[in-house]
Amino acid sequence: MTAPEQRNVRRWLTELAAGNRRWVQGAVLTGTLAGIATIVQMVLLARIVHLGVIEGIAVSELMDLFIVLVITLVIRALFQGLQTRLAAQCSKRVRRTARRQIHRHWQAAGPVAMGQESAGALAREWIDHVEALHGYYARFLPQMQLSVIVPLLILALVFWLDWLAAVFLLLSAPLIPLFMALVGMGAEKLNQQHFETISRLSGQFLDKVRGLTTLQLFGQTESAADLLARRSDRYRVVTMKTLKIAFLSSAVLEFFASVAIAVIAIYIGFGLLGYITFGPADELTLFTGLLILLLAPEFFQPLRTLSQYYHDRAAALGAGTEILARLQDYPASTLQVKSEQSAPATAGSPSLITLDSVSFTHPGEAKPWFRDLNLQIEKGHAVALTGPSGGGKSTLLYLLAGFLAPDSGEIRVFGQVPGKAAFGWLGQKGFLVHGTWADNLRLTSPDASDVAIDAALRRVGLGDLVDSREDGIYSPVSDQGRGLSGGQARRLSLARIFLADYDLILLDEPTAGLDSASEIYILESLRKLSQAGKTLVFSTHHHALLTLADRVLTVDDGEVYHA
Amino acid sequence: MRELAPWLALIFQRPWRLVLGGVLILATLASGIGLLALSGWFITDTAIVGILLAAGTQVAVNLYVPGGGIRFFAVSRTVARYLERVYNHDTVLRLLTDIRVALFHRLAGASRTGQSRLSGAQWLSRLTSDVDALDTIYLRVIAPAALAGVITLLVALLAWVLFSGAVALGLLAITTLAFVLATVAVYVRTREPSYRQADRQEELRTAVVEHIEGFAELRAAGRTGRHGAWLLRQAHQMNSEQVEVDSKVGWHQAISHLLINLCAVFALWAGYGLYETGAISGPVLVLLPIAILGLAEVYSMLPDAFGKLGSTVSSAARLNRDATPAGEQGKAEIPAPADDHLALVAQDIAVRYDGFAPILTHFDLTLSRGERIGILGRSGSGKSSLADTLAGLLPASRGELARQPCAYLTQQTALFDDTLRANLILGNPAATDAELWQVLELVELGDRFAREPEQLDTWLGNTGSRLSGGEARRVALARVLLNPAPLVVLDEPFTGLDGDTRSRISKRLERWLEGKSVISLAHGSEALPATDRVIHLE
Repeated sequence: MTAPEQRNVRRWLTELAAGNRRWVQGAVLTGTLAGIATIVQMVLLARIVHLGVIEGIAVSELMDLFIVLVITLVIRALFQGLQTRLAAQCSKRVRRTARRQIHRHWQAAGPVAMGQESAGALAREWIDHVEALHGYYARFLPQMQLSVIVPLLILALVFWLDWLAAVFLLLSAPLIPLFMALVGMGAEKLNQQHFETISRLSGQFLDKVRGLTTLQLFGQTESAADLLARRSDRYRVVTMKTLKIAFLSSAVLEFFASVAIAVIAIYIGFGLLGYITFGPADELTLFTGLLILLLAPEFFQPLRTLSQYYHDRAAALGAGTEILARLQDYPASTLQVKSEQSAPATAGSPSLITLDSVSFTHPGEAKPWFRDLNLQIEKGHAVALTGPSGGGKSTLLYLLAGFLAPDSGEIRVFGQVPGKAAFGWLGQKGFLVHGTWADNLRLTSPDASDVAIDAALRRVGLGDLVDSREDGIYSPVSDQGRGLSGGQARRLSLARIFLADYDLILLDEPTAGLDSASEIYILESLRKLSQAGKTLVFSTHHHALLTLADRVLTVDDGEVYHA
Repeated sequence: MRELAPWLALIFQRPWRLVLGGVLILATLASGIGLLALSGWFITDTAIVGILLAAGTQVAVNLYVPGGGIRFFAVSRTVARYLERVYNHDTVLRLLTDIRVALFHRLAGASRTGQSRLSGAQWLSRLTSDVDALDTIYLRVIAPAALAGVITLLVALLAWVLFSGAVALGLLAITTLAFVLATVAVYVRTREPSYRQADRQEELRTAVVEHIEGFAELRAAGRTGRHGAWLLRQAHQMNSEQVEVDSKVGWHQAISHLLINLCAVFALWAGYGLYETGAISGPVLVLLPIAILGLAEVYSMLPDAFGKLGSTVSSAARLNRDATPAGEQGKAEIPAPADDHLALVAQDIAVRYDGFAPILTHFDLTLSRGERIGILGRSGSGKSSLADTLAGLLPASRGELARQPCAYLTQQTALFDDTLRANLILGNPAATDAELWQVLELVELGDRFAREPEQLDTWLGNTGSRLSGGEARRVALARVLLNPAPLVVLDEPFTGLDGDTRSRISKRLERWLEGKSVISLAHGSEALPATDRVIHLE
């Protein structure tokens, strides 16, 4: 995977929000209204103080103002609460869109490319990386707009009250984003580094824990713990260097906010004393002076909040970079394009599987695996593929399955593009999901009856196991804390194939590493399937399986010939 | 909440670091409040004096003390903030190391049943997100909550000194309500969905991993779209629940903020009573409400942290569950056989997992030094469990076992995300490069890695995924062969190897293991290396 450019990641993040603009706008609107309520609150507070302290009005006569003040506060709280709700809704929708995109990409990439990645890493992208987008949409994005709108509103009011005080605010305000940009540019890159390091470190930790038994067997747990501590500590030292710089941005913001408040307070104080003889200072009253002071921190607050949410942006950019790298890795269109290109050619015979001068090179490899390969398999035949490991047996099966598309040439399965019609696939690992036997079989045949499921399980010799469970096919597959053996899992997969009644069944080393009982059941099952007129293509070294085949082909170094 | 206890104990191992970090946060908050409150006092004072001066009255006004104070707070807020952030993040990273290393030690000492409960998918979920959740509990929850309490008390003290005891009590009553709403109430209202959130995510992760592992089969059956849609719905539901939690947190935040504001209004109103009686001056009347408004900053950090506390507790609960220390039996050392000519003596051994029927009973075996035996059994016959027992991973539930130190090749190939060298020297940290190459030659991987640019430092990638199954198996075998232990237990040593490779390696293995005692286990005799005799398990 090559890292996509930051610009593209940002564009991708913006595009994700495009369909949910209403929610972002709603969050910004409510945030703005809460900001206006805040301004009103400060006006009322300053007014009450002025009337009481300067005008000497009794508190009993100020009750109206107090009541309006309390109502304003309640309104402010209402809008604050609403803002959170709307922003959270927005983020929820965006995450759904992102997950949909990734899944669409998986489908385009296909099982071979997927099989080369760790399932955990892919799941992490789909779950955790998408979750990492949450803060960006729920917090950062609306706040980015609010940090412009609300300060401008306050600035306008302060300008009207005392333009010189507004100038102080204005002078400090543009400097803040400027400084933040300067510091942030460095910090952002470092932040991503931090994100990478932390995921690498937790990967290291997980890996050590996963291999704990091995470490224990060799008596190396102590040294592994030491290594973990050392790497972790080295990471701390490196990261702290980064953070010392990253935190400068918040310090700059803090500094300008503090200094601006101090300058305004002193300016107003001197103005009220009449020491300042120029500008609008002589018109200051306690009301205007106090109001300006109360508004000054509110002027900076949205920006401070934004800087707190900066890590949300960094997290989203970090996660977005990885997601986008994945999305770019196998452009969603390649496979479709490849198969569409070959689609208009001859349709091929409905009773044959044909490979017509097929060439194939694995992505990233220079040497082609197959060059001008021609092959025909008749419907109903059982064909065994043998040859040394790495000779191309699996690749040939992947091509027949449509998991890989040829660079040139044409493959037709009973007149159709490979993979167009459903077929049976049995890999070297069986596949089962958390759930009951019935769940596992209905995964590929959702409408199967209980009777059919039971029969399919019996055919692969899992009947006894199911009978021994309390709820039959409705008992969990991995009961009692122990899962199925490798052989049993593969038989479960085979039961799916029985149940679904496919015309074509492709099997990659169906008996490799199996105990003899499972082996016998699988041999028997394949024999039955073959007798039922199914077309079987399987790779194997196994002698008994070879005898089952109508044809044995040797696949070696990209050549396919009759054994 | 009890679940957090062991982790809190770990965090509080550095009490002075935490206190100093807390003091820095306090200095930041106090400076911020001081800056505004003093400015408010100053403006009101100058406003009153300004009117007197304008009226021609002679009044002395001290501008230097408040002016200096304002400047001091402006600078101290900045400096304290910066130091606080640097210092506390360093603390968090130290805690991160502490927690990971402690957890690793605890997992290493955990009972086997605890370890075997964990599947790969759950590992990924738990150990990353659960440990992450605990890393930040100090900075997110403990420090802000403690400081909100301290700073509130300080402001109440100020109210007591400047205003009156009654105002201080009123202030405490309202802020306590705000505090409860921002902390405990949020926790109680979001505990369940928040606690469940992590489980849901874990379930979803299991389902996603299954989806990916079964991708080829699902694709063949034309079901990836449907199954993917189902996963999307699950994820969306999970997020919907999270939106509910977020909304609750948002409302609590808004209401606790409202209460802080109301508290300031209360102080202003109550202050007027005192002002009218002449008990306090105008500037002092303004100082307290402004100081109270400043409390909002620290209170605003609380609801979000407490909304996540439920999931933090569930993280801690899961980590505790899986890192339960093993009993004494799990740690018992296996003695060497009394007779010097024997490598292993097993008498009437029974093998079983806790809570299950025995897999194997009345197993006897005597192995002389230098003897090589094969144990054959179909899968499910308890072969691997027997191997685990002989190697000492799974304590025998009955019987006597004595053996020499042993090197054990487990049925599962477990390689580390590390270099080839790091993976191999686990077997023998003292092994030289020449020895490593020698053993690689033996398993026919010498050429394979000699071709790699990094040679012995070739990174084996994600759980060795850049290797084929057979290659990974051979690396694991090589690692065991490097180990100097006099007894070697090999469970299905040749998985994934073709017949020719197998017989070539088998021959060389015979020479390499010259003088060692060997127990090999396999499902069929063709998968066994050379043996002196063979036992069948039924």
